[in-house]
Amino acid sequence: MSASDDRSAAGRGGLNPPRQTSAEVRIGIDVGGTFTDFVLSGAPGGLVFHKEPSTPADPSAAVESGLVAVVAKAGLAMGDVTLVVHGTTLGLNAIIQRRGGPIGLVTSPGNTDVLEVARCRMPNSVDFHLTKEAALVPRNLCFAIPARLMVDGTVLMRPEPADYDRVAGSLRAAGVATVAVMLLHSYLHPALEAEVARELAARLPGVAISASAQIWPESREYERALVAVLNGFIAPLMQGYFSRLESRLAARGLTAPISITTSNGGSVGLRSAGERPIETVLSGPASGVVAAAQAAAGTRFTQLITLDMGGTSSDIALTKAGEPEYTTRTTVGDFPLVMPVVNVSAIGAGGGSILWVDPQGVLKVGPRSAGAAPGPVCYGRGGTEPTVTDCYLAIGWIDPDAFLGGRMRLDRAAAEAALLPLAARLGFTGADAPARVAEAALAVATAAMATELAKGLAQRGEDASQFALMPFGGAGPTHANLLAEAARLPAVLVPPAPSTFCALGAILADVKRDFVRSLRLRLGAEGAMARLRAALSALSAEATNWLAGEGTMLAGHILSATTEMRYAGQSFELTVDWTAEAFDDPTPDMLAELFHRVHEGVYGFRDTASAVELTSLRVRVTGRMAPVELPAAPMLPSAAPPGTRRVFRAGSWRDVPVWRREALGFGAEVAGPAILEQEDSTLVLLPGWVLRADRQGNLEMLRAATSTP
Amino acid sequence: MDKVTLEILGRQVTAAAEGMGFTLQRTGRTLYVKEASDFGTALVGLDGRFFGYPRTIGVSHFLDLDCGPTLRAVPDLEDGDVIITNHPFLSEGLSTHLPDLNLIRPYFHEGRIVAYGWCFIHSADIGGRVPSSISPSNTDLFQEGLMIPPMKLVRRGEMNPDFLTLYRSNVRTPDQNMGDVRAQLAALHVGRLSVAEMIAQHGVDVFLEAQEALQDYADQKARAVFARIPDGEYHAWDYLDDDMVSTFPVRIRLTLRVNSGRFALDFSGTDPQVATAYNIPTLGRRHAWFTARLIGCVATHDPSIPMNAGVYRAVTAFAPAGSVVNAEPPAAVGVRQPTGRRIFDMMTAALLQGDRTLMAAASGGVSTPVVLAEEETAQGDRNVVVLEPMIGGMGAREGHDGVDGRDSGTSNLANNPIESIEAAAPVLVLHYGLREDSGGPGRWRGGAGLAFTFKVLRDGCTVLARGMERCRFPPWGAFGGRPGLPFRVILNHGLPGEQVIGKIDQLSVEAGDTVTILTPGAGGFGDPFVRDPEAVLRDVILRVVSAESAARDYGVVIREGAVDAEATEALRAARPPRDTAGIDYGEEREAYEAVFDDDAMARLNAALFALPRRQRGRARLRVMQAAVPDMPQAGHRPLVEVLADSGAARLRFEDALAALVRA
Repeated sequence: MSASDDRSAAGRGGLNPPRQTSAEVRIGIDVGGTFTDFVLSGAPGGLVFHKEPSTPADPSAAVESGLVAVVAKAGLAMGDVTLVVHGTTLGLNAIIQRRGGPIGLVTSPGNTDVLEVARCRMPNSVDFHLTKEAALVPRNLCFAIPARLMVDGTVLMRPEPADYDRVAGSLRAAGVATVAVMLLHSYLHPALEAEVARELAARLPGVAISASAQIWPESREYERALVAVLNGFIAPLMQGYFSRLESRLAARGLTAPISITTSNGGSVGLRSAGERPIETVLSGPASGVVAAAQAAAGTRFTQLITLDMGGTSSDIALTKAGEPEYTTRTTVGDFPLVMPVVNVSAIGAGGGSILWVDPQGVLKVGPRSAGAAPGPVCYGRGGTEPTVTDCYLAIGWIDPDAFLGGRMRLDRAAAEAALLPLAARLGFTGADAPARVAEAALAVATAAMATELAKGLAQRGEDASQFALMPFGGAGPTHANLLAEAARLPAVLVPPAPSTFCALGAILADVKRDFVRSLRLRLGAEGAMARLRAALSALSAEATNWLAGEGTMLAGHILSATTEMRYAGQSFELTVDWTAEAFDDPTPDMLAELFHRVHEGVYGFRDTASAVELTSLRVRVTGRMAPVELPAAPMLPSAAPPGTRRVFRAGSWRDVPVWRREALGFGAEVAGPAILEQEDSTLVLLPGWVLRADRQGNLEMLRAATSTP
Repeated sequence: MDKVTLEILGRQVTAAAEGMGFTLQRTGRTLYVKEASDFGTALVGLDGRFFGYPRTIGVSHFLDLDCGPTLRAVPDLEDGDVIITNHPFLSEGLSTHLPDLNLIRPYFHEGRIVAYGWCFIHSADIGGRVPSSISPSNTDLFQEGLMIPPMKLVRRGEMNPDFLTLYRSNVRTPDQNMGDVRAQLAALHVGRLSVAEMIAQHGVDVFLEAQEALQDYADQKARAVFARIPDGEYHAWDYLDDDMVSTFPVRIRLTLRVNSGRFALDFSGTDPQVATAYNIPTLGRRHAWFTARLIGCVATHDPSIPMNAGVYRAVTAFAPAGSVVNAEPPAAVGVRQPTGRRIFDMMTAALLQGDRTLMAAASGGVSTPVVLAEEETAQGDRNVVVLEPMIGGMGAREGHDGVDGRDSGTSNLANNPIESIEAAAPVLVLHYGLREDSGGPGRWRGGAGLAFTFKVLRDGCTVLARGMERCRFPPWGAFGGRPGLPFRVILNHGLPGEQVIGKIDQLSVEAGDTVTILTPGAGGFGDPFVRDPEAVLRDVILRVVSAESAARDYGVVIREGAVDAEATEALRAARPPRDTAGIDYGEEREAYEAVFDDDAMARLNAALFALPRRQRGRARLRVMQAAVPDMPQAGHRPLVEVLADSGAARLRFEDALAALVRA
């Protein structure tokens, strides 16, 4: 999949990087809707966690106060910190809420509607009430310039100075803050587009102009234009935030560099992030997946499905052998994004999903959500409709006094009261009615999640029995066992501090960026391999040069390549990861065989009679961070559970043992049913399952029948 | 049954059908599967109806197909058997054209059948007169390919080798087709595993009970939506531009009778089947091509409805035998899709008359792949490239403008990037964008169609565009909303030698020619003269509507980028009162119906259906031609000109009809 690189300027590949030294103090930060999470590594006592209430108006305020708090908690000074890695959903929110811009778009003649036409599709074909996505660049801010290339690079039209003057004048009059330029075929022949960008920049001081091929030179004009437009749309906002953040933290005495996590599960320096904020938009969930993949390293579970249960939805991702699954077909808000990102997809209800009963008397969960505000009824923040979280409370899974370590008291009576009207509609009576509704709702929500999960696996041709579920986020561990049972997953692996996982992922994230070239070549054709090799070395050089500017924290780096390939005549490509052997010396046969194998896996057959085409090459540079030493769990004897709790299951209440998670050292075993509480989450173990603590502080949950060694 | 279990099983049967679909999509060979999603999967109950149908994969409009007749045609099913058929008439409308290869497998539990799995794939070729088997100019089913009556493809797990030999030798792409068959068998296998899992979890009795209960549930939900329509009769008719044999439109007529949430669809009055391939084989009963629009209607208003045949339990249908929507063998049926699309629009019009909040005005209503074929090389190769699958806009509805340049109800296929087109075909795309001023004016504006202009760079090319409709009568508006603009194709637009082309059969082009395709704008909704002037201004600023149209169609005067309130008020006040009830089908259709009105057509069809089937087409043409000898091709001379003297044409019609009746 990847290859050590021994030709690069930055030195030999670091397959055995040094362990982190105690002198390194890293802080990971993840900004969520309710809390901003902090994880500090490198302190004498191991990892230090902290949660700070978020400040949505200016997220950097919570970052500042939380950073001060976590450094103090660790007994360190600000000057001891060597790196801050920060994840933010600011860019994503700006896109969803259309808070960026104003931005202009300049295209070849006849192509100004590239965003309007898009790919001509609606999200589905049965809902007539769907509307089109609100435009990022309204039609009157899209301008044609007489610049046109043919597919072979022939310049059909080249603008005159008067054309530049005219278009620049229109853009100035429109008052745009940024401009994206996208010419047809610039992905193969970027010079004319760069020239247009340059000429317009000279006439529009103070307006940032980006050329599509400079950001992401891949074929398909709509998707390429979108990358440039989305980037330009959020750039002013993000740059403003980054500089505010930098000055706030500098004022507190921080001298360490700041990195920003990226959608591909990596991180980049603040300057790179400011230039290409589009790379950061899906970074939050990606970091959690990175942390999961690393937390499972050293366990016997090599294939994971991660489960991040948030307020509005539950997200899953797959990892294999420590590597997340990537995709180049994802969406940001309403828009497709073709850059490679960690493949995270929603499978249904989150903790804030609302319960309701339809006119036919059938219980439903979601898709409406109470989100973080007003939130579940039990939060007492104005929510009146019962949610999934209220259900956990009503059946006794969550202790209302121990939520978030007791920092937030939950109102169980209010949750039960909110469930009662549904009970009447469903025909549940008696004192147990709220609990019966809650149990039914969790069954409905779980069935929906399980079927979505099964669908996702079916689409990939994967088999559920080969994966362990790793939950994180606040509610993930609470719901994980239910989902594993319904989805027929053999195991659940719960990491030590699941609720601050994205912040932990930020610390663990390597420095990463992807570089792309479009090629359009046919394997075996005259000159094809020469072009491919030339592109490979050009991209490799570009990648290592970029990395050299990303600071000195790195323990070495690796380069890897993927290509988009297809059989001649197909209009969709498949992504093919190159082996190290292919990276070092690619041959047509080797690449064709790699493609055949992927095609066989995805589509069930190979077509050796057809020629194989290669449309683009991507090179990823990964600057490896020294891994964080995660503390080993102490060996503790299994003691008796410290308490019990009344839990509703299958129509009746029974006492279930409640453990403190800290009490379970390496080797400890618990048989379900049981509840495990820790500061940031509650773990539920169902009857028929057993749990065992491993050496790294993870808890393995297995079906009782298969758990005997 | 217990409603929590019902909800859970509802999810599971949908997921099971979708799992079959993903398997089919992953393993199928033909491009129709991978790129046009022209395939389907479902779980079938003992009654032959679908109780589990995908929401997210495959075609959405086949929910109302019936496997019953096919199952009855192949008795004595054993575990491991698989039925195959593509025969439109012997499957009684399960397959509606020959390329759709349908497979059904019984699922056994402890020795008895507890459900069936179903799937179909549109094969790349099933033999017949032309490559890929479909052509509008096919005149009977025998030209359309190999016919497979319902029979066993697999017997107790063993493929029938004789059938395979026969099959392979009758199709142009045997290896691909065999790949498809294997993919279908794989999908049916996956469905069987899902059924076994559900039975293991819930027990066989609950599983069987759920098949009924889920359809009851869908029935209740559908009726709750249908009940919004007041009892009564609602009429709608629409036209195919022509049948390719003559230039006269082909009429389809619907009466929707509503009685406390029950729907009876009656297609009496529809024209006789045509000699070309536009016929639909429905057997005259309730059928997916009749009821497809209803699932969109119901699912839009209640997204939580389970996808199963119960949606249609309150619906019955009748269509006269020998009509274009209930063709008799051996009618050609390959291009039934444009006819089906007209039924979608008629159903929409009928429902709207019952409740104006239920549906939107007519969408562009077309799905036309524009294809460029190069000259054959000396080696006999021919480069054939789909440039764009062209669609129109979406209709406006109460409170909302229609969507510009998209039409999910037609096929919802992704388009092709210009960069891909230009790499694959000798063309230069000069323009691809919204067709300005094409959306029907209305208080809520209809979605604009698309404009696509390309220059041909090589001599000897041919442009093809199958399924062009709405060239003659545009998508209609509702409740004062105006129709959109019709489909147009123009050769060398704005250049010397400009030529308006009607429906393209095969258009020969040379290097330097430009071809402009203008797809229909959708219908508007509500009186345009009460549209918020600021909304009109916004459309003008965004150049979706011109300032001229703003004044003419909306009564809004825009000067120097702002609404001139006084002038607008004056212009709006000066307009004579307009009828804003019902549907506005536009002037061209009014001109046509001044000659060929509903009553005249009913009498003509009564006379035609009294004749032997083979004589109907020619007799009809005689009468129509007697009335209007110079009926222009769709999209050429406007009918308001041609039929200016409708009285005379009407007299000629009556004479010819009388002569026909006498004979």
